[in-house]
Amino acid sequence: MIHLLVSIKQVPDTTNIRIDPETGSLIRKGVPAILNPYDAHAVAAAAEWKRKLGGKITIITMGPPSATLALQECIELGADRGILLSDRKFAGSDTWATSYVLAEAIRKIHEEDPIDLLFFGKQAIDGDTAQVGPGVATRLEFPLITYATNIREINQDEGFVLIERKTELRTEIIRATLPALLTCEKEIAEIPYAALPDLIKSLRYETETWTAEDPVIYDETKIGLKGSPTKVSKTGTPKQHEPGETFKVAEIGLKESVDTVFEKMISNSSVASLWE
Amino acid sequence: MSNEKIQFDVVVVGAGLAGSTAAAIAARHGLDVAIIERGRSPGGKNFFGGALYTHSLEEIYPDLWDRKPPLERPVTETGFWFLSKDGMVKATVQGGRINNEPIDAYVALRAKFDSWWAEQAEEEGAFIIPKTLVTDFIYEEGQVVGVTTDRPQGDIYAPVIIICEGVNNILTQKLGLIDHDIQPTKAALAVKQLISLSPKTINARLGLPSRKHGMAISVVGDVSMGMPGLGFLYTADKAVSLGVGVTLHALQETQIKPYELLQRYLEHPAIAPIIEGGQLMEYGAHLIPEGGWKEMPKLFTGGAMVAGDAASMVNALHWEGTNMAIVAGKQAGLTAIEAHQKGDFSAQTLSSYQDGLQERFVMKDLRQYRRMSKFLANHPEFMEIYPTFLNDAMGNFFTSFGKPKRQLYKEIWRSLTSRRSLLKVIGDMVSFGRAVIGI
Repeated sequence: MIHLLVSIKQVPDTTNIRIDPETGSLIRKGVPAILNPYDAHAVAAAAEWKRKLGGKITIITMGPPSATLALQECIELGADRGILLSDRKFAGSDTWATSYVLAEAIRKIHEEDPIDLLFFGKQAIDGDTAQVGPGVATRLEFPLITYATNIREINQDEGFVLIERKTELRTEIIRATLPALLTCEKEIAEIPYAALPDLIKSLRYETETWTAEDPVIYDETKIGLKGSPTKVSKTGTPKQHEPGETFKVAEIGLKESVDTVFEKMISNSSVASLWE
Repeated sequence: MSNEKIQFDVVVVGAGLAGSTAAAIAARHGLDVAIIERGRSPGGKNFFGGALYTHSLEEIYPDLWDRKPPLERPVTETGFWFLSKDGMVKATVQGGRINNEPIDAYVALRAKFDSWWAEQAEEEGAFIIPKTLVTDFIYEEGQVVGVTTDRPQGDIYAPVIIICEGVNNILTQKLGLIDHDIQPTKAALAVKQLISLSPKTINARLGLPSRKHGMAISVVGDVSMGMPGLGFLYTADKAVSLGVGVTLHALQETQIKPYELLQRYLEHPAIAPIIEGGQLMEYGAHLIPEGGWKEMPKLFTGGAMVAGDAASMVNALHWEGTNMAIVAGKQAGLTAIEAHQKGDFSAQTLSSYQDGLQERFVMKDLRQYRRMSKFLANHPEFMEIYPTFLNDAMGNFFTSFGKPKRQLYKEIWRSLTSRRSLLKVIGDMVSFGRAVIGI
């Protein structure tokens, strides 16, 4: 029997999102909330290995009460238990504070029921930081394998996993001792079309909610906006570049063209300084 | 994973207005009801102009207003706009009984409203199963006893199935209640844009006194490019919904693209200023079954009933359909209760569904207007000649240019008779009257 944990996030469907041209911020109103796509693949991977080895899957997430829907979707994909970390005190947490909140909750779960392997999506599509998974691994001192694309083997007897991970140039095969933490690419598993009994079970499933005091007592200086060192001073949309001037060699001749361009370059201060 | 049979007292296919109503009625009486919806959530696939009629909503929930329905503006002005190429004649009614409580109709946005309507059914005890497509039926001894879905281990059993699958009547056909797909001549394709504007701008541009006033307008004439069809304009709270519906057949024949049709409408000199500076919120299209009475399937068989668009319950001229769907859904729900009380789900028991509808405006209106869709298809002049004439006539009547009035009347007369002979005009009016009165 294996115990797998997947940490997920409910995110606005960013394929559907627009930017308010005046304020530069995301218009979240009317945008559906979905299970972060990378996380969905992570859950699917966990479900595959649960089927192979037997065992159970615990899902954990931090978010508002509506994140229950994302947890239910994980139950539909084959998870057994869903824990929602939800408290106003968590609101405004950056990746630093979030990884603290998740790590402490996972520590609690791990004490009661040891976890063999932890799955995170490689990043959330709303923030795109890819920091929370590594942050949790660091805090819990578990081996970390990012950008995992394939799980070759989970060997509980000898206590290791063999994971393929994608880098820019090659695929690496990593052997790590259990418990280990993966952040997953979409290739890790296909999302299955859940069987009807699983769907019905998920619709009737009631998630557990954990607060900032129960069952884990959090240090309030480390959570929420107060516990978040990241400060967003300004957000905006970059201005579109104006196209540069065009000189047609056919019209003004080669020498003239080169001279003009050269003139322009040395009159530009940054290039001129290089010239000197 | 359990291998137990999934069993309910009633299965409703489709969480539209008909489906959620049927489920609410049956669940309210203590039956175990499942609604199976193919979209991610109820309302996700639903679309209309449009306005909802309060009489039908209150019939299902007498405490409707305590439940705070997500309706937009009340319809306090309604009627026709007749478009010529560059002008418009307005014939709308406002104030009087239109403006009095109880308000007859409210503009609504279906994605919002239908999900709320489904929540009301959930509160009555119905169980919604989303993201699941019903593919076929399970029979025992010739009687429908359940449905199959596109999911693994996806069979669901119930002694009575209420089919509210919408305009694409695939399941209704599988049951043999109708023998063909919806016909291009009997279906309109409506395309619309929802354009957001501040309530202030909407009020100023449309002459509405406040946010508690709204419009439901049918637009006739230059909007449909000569094809049988109509345009529309509805005012939501912070948006205006504008669209055009024409028959699928006409689109096929003319090869006009629906989005071109809509774009042309939105760029019309009388329409463009209304939406100038607005932001596009929603762009969509939907089929409307306009065959009416003549395209109605058989409404029931052993173990199953059909309601709503799938049953062709639309009155194309009056833009009614949602109220018919709701009333039919209620009737189907009541019949399901009756069948459970009797413990008999045969066609004979379920025939009381149709009997009940005969007593209501649903069947009466559909029967009365049974010639309407054919009439509109055969009389393109109502889309082209008459609206243009009306614009010419009014335009002439209210301008002087120093002409003697006798000449003015001659010109008005000629602008009609040069387009269509007097005899034909009389004929058109007679057949229009017949199509409406239904004789």
